[in-house]
Amino acid sequence: MERSQRVSLLEIFKVFFFIGATGFGGGMAIVSLTERVCVHEKKWISMEEFMHGLAFGQILGPFSLNTCTFVGYYLRGPVGGIIAASAFIAPSFILICLLSWLYFTFHELPQLQSALNGTNPVIIALIIVAAVGMGRSKVKGNEAWLMALAAFAAAALLNASALTILVAAAVWSLGRSWYRREHS
Amino acid sequence: MGGLVKLAWLFLKIGVIFFGGGYVLIPLLHRIMVDQLQWLTLKEFLDGVALSQLTPGPLAMLATFTGYKAAGFPGALVGTVFIFLPCTVLMLAISSRYEKMRNMELIRTTLDGLLPAVVGLVAAAAWNLGKTSLSSGRDFLLLIAGLLILQFTKVSPMFVILGAAALGLVFHFS
Repeated sequence: MERSQRVSLLEIFKVFFFIGATGFGGGMAIVSLTERVCVHEKKWISMEEFMHGLAFGQILGPFSLNTCTFVGYYLRGPVGGIIAASAFIAPSFILICLLSWLYFTFHELPQLQSALNGTNPVIIALIIVAAVGMGRSKVKGNEAWLMALAAFAAAALLNASALTILVAAAVWSLGRSWYRREHS
Repeated sequence: MGGLVKLAWLFLKIGVIFFGGGYVLIPLLHRIMVDQLQWLTLKEFLDGVALSQLTPGPLAMLATFTGYKAAGFPGALVGTVFIFLPCTVLMLAISSRYEKMRNMELIRTTLDGLLPAVVGLVAAAAWNLGKTSLSSGRDFLLLIAGLLILQFTKVSPMFVILGAAALGLVFHFS
């Protein structure tokens, strides 16, 4: 995609700060907001390139942040990527610092305790719904189910650490992918 | 200073194994912060998840909350920077040469193959957290209501959490 002039770093900062401040809902809500702003309104990046960034963004860490980094890099190289990522995180960072300060300062307030007691079961519901959603889209076939069950059992019943389980699964999965590539 | 370096190293390590989206952080951070280091109580951990869901940022904002508890504002900053450092560096590296990456396919299939373990871990996190924090009939009622709303409606989790907080406040949950 041809760009008539370079986008300024300040402009990148402003746009991603805006996305980071208004994208309530997280995850895909952020991605669709980023797409609307960067692909359709600003015409900074083509839809195809944007989709590549989204695909690569799934590898490590949160894809909402990674997609912002990708677009920033596309516009202005590494500095652009870092500015886009920082600007996107900044509003949430400020909000969390404020909430953490309130939380640890007014910990003892009975009203706050009551309110948070209401949220605890809902947080667990949220985690269950996340597991179900991921399970539906990512766990296909007997082998995948076996891996999911083994990870569940190791973590829930044997109290194995999540890190150990992840590393073991990664080694297993890398070995399988490698084997398949060499023998096909 | 030494404390902040330790914090940075800890979050850097977590950032490197941050596969499969934000929810994998729940078992990881629960294990490290609550069980091993005891920087947070289980209750504080769950409250931190609730607070991080009130921002537009990823669930990883939980790192900011944990860092804040461990070392105040500097801890929050260090935790946030270092948990996001690995994924940002990786993303910059990919962006600069993504057309040339022959091994990309291998990485993608490896990653897809690893995801079932993440699903198992997230389910186990719900199990472990629920086992210790759900104690009354009221808790289970809220759990079921939350499950139904989050699974079958498009209401944002932020509003469900705020709604549950309002219920707790109005009815003086103890």
